Amino acid sequence: MNSWPGPENSWEGVDAYFTWANSPGMLVFISLLVAVILAGIIWSAARHESEVADKNK
Amino acid sequence: MTLEELNTFVTTQANVSMEAYYWWCTAFMVIIHVGFLMYEVGATRMKNAVSSGVKNLLAFAFMIPTFWLFGWYIYLAFPAGFVPIDLEGYGTPWNVSMGPMLSDQATGVFWAAFTLFACTTASIFSGAVIERIRLSAFTFLAVILGSVVWITGASWGWHPDGWLVTGFGYHDVGAAGVVHTIAGWFAFGVLLNLGPRIGKYNEDGTANEIEGHSLISSFIGLLMLIVGFFGFLGGCLIWAGSDLGGWINIYGAPATLSSFAFNTLMGLSGGMIGAFWYSKGNPFWMMSGGLAGIFICAGGLDIWYPGFAFVLGVVGGIVIIPANNWLHNTFKIDDCVGAVSVHGVAGILGVLMVGIFASGYPASGDIPPTSFVGQLVGVITMIALGFIPGYVISLLMKSIGWLRVPDSVQLAGIDSAELGLNAYADK
Repeated sequence: MNSWPGPENSWEGVDAYFTWANSPGMLVFISLLVAVILAGIIWSAARHESEVADKNK
Repeated sequence: MTLEELNTFVTTQANVSMEAYYWWCTAFMVIIHVGFLMYEVGATRMKNAVSSGVKNLLAFAFMIPTFWLFGWYIYLAFPAGFVPIDLEGYGTPWNVSMGPMLSDQATGVFWAAFTLFACTTASIFSGAVIERIRLSAFTFLAVILGSVVWITGASWGWHPDGWLVTGFGYHDVGAAGVVHTIAGWFAFGVLLNLGPRIGKYNEDGTANEIEGHSLISSFIGLLMLIVGFFGFLGGCLIWAGSDLGGWINIYGAPATLSSFAFNTLMGLSGGMIGAFWYSKGNPFWMMSGGLAGIFICAGGLDIWYPGFAFVLGVVGGIVIIPANNWLHNTFKIDDCVGAVSVHGVAGILGVLMVGIFASGYPASGDIPPTSFVGQLVGVITMIALGFIPGYVISLLMKSIGWLRVPDSVQLAGIDSAELGLNAYADK
């Protein structure tokens, strides 16, 4: 699972390094995951507010 | 030391200094959010104090990942209008520059500074809607404003290749238009659909003053805002460190941090004094006037003579008070902190002042010089860019019942009803 881009125990030749996301698939997956978390939490908060509103009628 | 080693040393130190400068500007901008939080919590009644603070925290927390996902890309990709330019992936979350990269010391700190600009823009809208907006609805609207709308305006008018800049010579170094005008008029659009708090207006149309529960909190918050805006305005200049070129403004023209220091302080002072006089000593307006004094100078912070900045500040501090009264009397809005006036009206003036009093100033390269027409086109664009999405999106949200807290919850207080909390044990 390690995504170290350089030679063993050396920074030789290393420039950009995306720990745990060093493939296009993982980059897209993590970006989508962030988006889903954000949208899901807004939706969850809205649902809670609607439930509270029903209880306070 | 060889000449090559000396060159490497100087360039490296310049890059590290540049990184450190924007790092601390970003940290100072966090203080803006301390200020907004304290100000708005203080302006809120006790029964809504916690939810008001939570709202500020949510704006901050949601802005950062959304600006990472798409806000930064929008800034870089849309200077030509609504059609993106080809950046070969730069600015997207999966680009090599959007993470640790040893050969790129600029992207992360610039992204961070712009992210805090976005947080600030969203928080400007926050104070106007306290005590009756749903937290989830506010969060969504804050993301739209902070990570889409204002940054589109920044791409058009706060970017050396923006169409307002290259086509009209638009000059707005301290973001009077791209932040304050857009945020103020976005808030106005939302306020029209959100409606006032219960008890704000009587049946005959007269208004009641709904006082906040802590003037001290609001005072400290407003002062913290001013501290934080030094980070904001410091981040508006470009440190051309590796080019060994010193400071330039966002349009590539030479500038100094000293000019920003002169004019920020003189505008602040003028605004406080003007509002003190016009409001006959109202401390709320005095502090808001100080902010308006900065914003009316913001478009030309790099060019004003400090004495003139003071005069502009006095005008800004005075004008926002009748403007706020007119907006309330005419549209029956309930702008709890005067955000539309302090940011929207002072922002408009900040852009127009450059066109009226500083036409003919050059930028760099092929960018046309400043002009009244250029500033007018710019400010109309910023008003529309803020108002239209604010009004249309909040109208859609209202139509599906996802905007306003129901009256029963408002009366009970959002803190106890939704969060199960009270700000103070002893009510």
